Amino acid sequence: MELAKNLQTTINKSHGKTDLYVDLAQSISGILLVGFLWMHMLFVSTVVINPALFDTLSIGLDKYYLAQFGIPGTVLLIIVHIFLAGRRAPLRLRDLRIAWRLTRMMNHYDTWVWAGQVITALMIGIMASMHLWTIMTSWPLRAATSAARVASVGPADHSFGGFEFPFFIVFYVIFLIVGEYHAGFGLYRIFVKWGWFERHKMGWLLKGITVIIIALGFTALYTFTQIAANLPAGGAIH
Amino acid sequence: MRQLTFSIFRFNPNIPGDKPRMQEYKLEEQDGMSMFVALTKIREELDPTLMFDFVCRAAICGSCAMLINGRPRLACKTLAKNMPSRITMMPLPVFKLIGDLCVDTGTWFKDLQIKTEAWVHTNKKFDPKALEEKMDNEVAEKIYEPDRCVECGCCVAACITANIRDDFIGATGINRVARFMLDPRDERSDADYFDVVGNEEGTFGCVGLMGCDDLCPMEIPLQENLAYVRRKMAAAGLKLQFQGVKVS
Repeated sequence: MELAKNLQTTINKSHGKTDLYVDLAQSISGILLVGFLWMHMLFVSTVVINPALFDTLSIGLDKYYLAQFGIPGTVLLIIVHIFLAGRRAPLRLRDLRIAWRLTRMMNHYDTWVWAGQVITALMIGIMASMHLWTIMTSWPLRAATSAARVASVGPADHSFGGFEFPFFIVFYVIFLIVGEYHAGFGLYRIFVKWGWFERHKMGWLLKGITVIIIALGFTALYTFTQIAANLPAGGAIH
Repeated sequence: MRQLTFSIFRFNPNIPGDKPRMQEYKLEEQDGMSMFVALTKIREELDPTLMFDFVCRAAICGSCAMLINGRPRLACKTLAKNMPSRITMMPLPVFKLIGDLCVDTGTWFKDLQIKTEAWVHTNKKFDPKALEEKMDNEVAEKIYEPDRCVECGCCVAACITANIRDDFIGATGINRVARFMLDPRDERSDADYFDVVGNEEGTFGCVGLMGCDDLCPMEIPLQENLAYVRRKMAAAGLKLQFQGVKVS
């Protein structure tokens, strides 16, 4: 505050209304993305009930142009959210050092959770891009193609000494946990900031929902591996 | 009784060449021993050069805030029986270091009071002879809740945002503004309040890490008070926008 007092800020003063809109937009973009992710996981989980239902849903989304508009829209929303929420992350080395030292020293639960949010945000940035690329290049989405992708082992080119590793299942297990963590605690933080609900009860409720959705995701992944096992030639696509 | 080991931060920036270091002291634990009692004992019996702040010994003045085992706490309110046998003590971050465990919270808080205009703004002329106006008990109790702040600085030290950004007024600052918003004697309009706290330096700078809410020694419901100001300022900002009122 010492320094801030001496800075000449008349010409580049922070404008209250802009700060308000940016803050509101950050919360709204977060809520929309949590809504998207939870709905996404519910849609994917339809494969557990019946692969045909999964296909019907996918065909429906394409038919009514929901996927064609929804995917670019969601990508745009993610980019906006990166800029809005990224403002809060300690990006300078000095800030990063202070944040890390203080987090470790205080050992305060919610501050640790936030450190996790920053880390998962970085992971989502990379993993969501990869996920998007793989689904877009094997469009349209069907239970069989998704199953083949989830169960595929790599590398495809065995001239690498023939080692095999189930990259995709590992990728999706990590992506699922990381994504749901970020969404669940992100929503928690929005509610904390606006104070609509009692903090601790709401925290437990959101943890419960997150665990349920992760469990649903695991079940769906397992179902996909089962479907893949019944596909001709293990359903290998490379 | 246990033997307690205190590892205490030592550094006097006023002594040329002095370097920050941790120094250890050993003490026998006593019944009902607080960290304040322990520090006094160390200063009286082991090391008269040790610097630390205290005034009231009863969690009223907020002078003895420090990092005890990494967490901001009041030394007088922290009992040895609730602590492990090894205790580290460091000065609060953010505030200017005077020496060892002493920091200058006064200058920071003075700046804060000026920045947030932390006084009742009224056009009523004060008549010293008139009977004092009665305040509704419910209102008085509402105001009293944020007013319990002792300005110890624990919430500022516990806040990553306040540690990183020197223009952020912290939970204590937003809580202070909440106190005046609740006070019917303060005649400030929404636009006035928005000018003071409706920005990144104030309510919209809070990231919601809740170090303040969980570690406030006075257990002030900071999350509620911060959210109250945020909601009120968001509503005020949007209302002013629709009315076409220009704010800052």
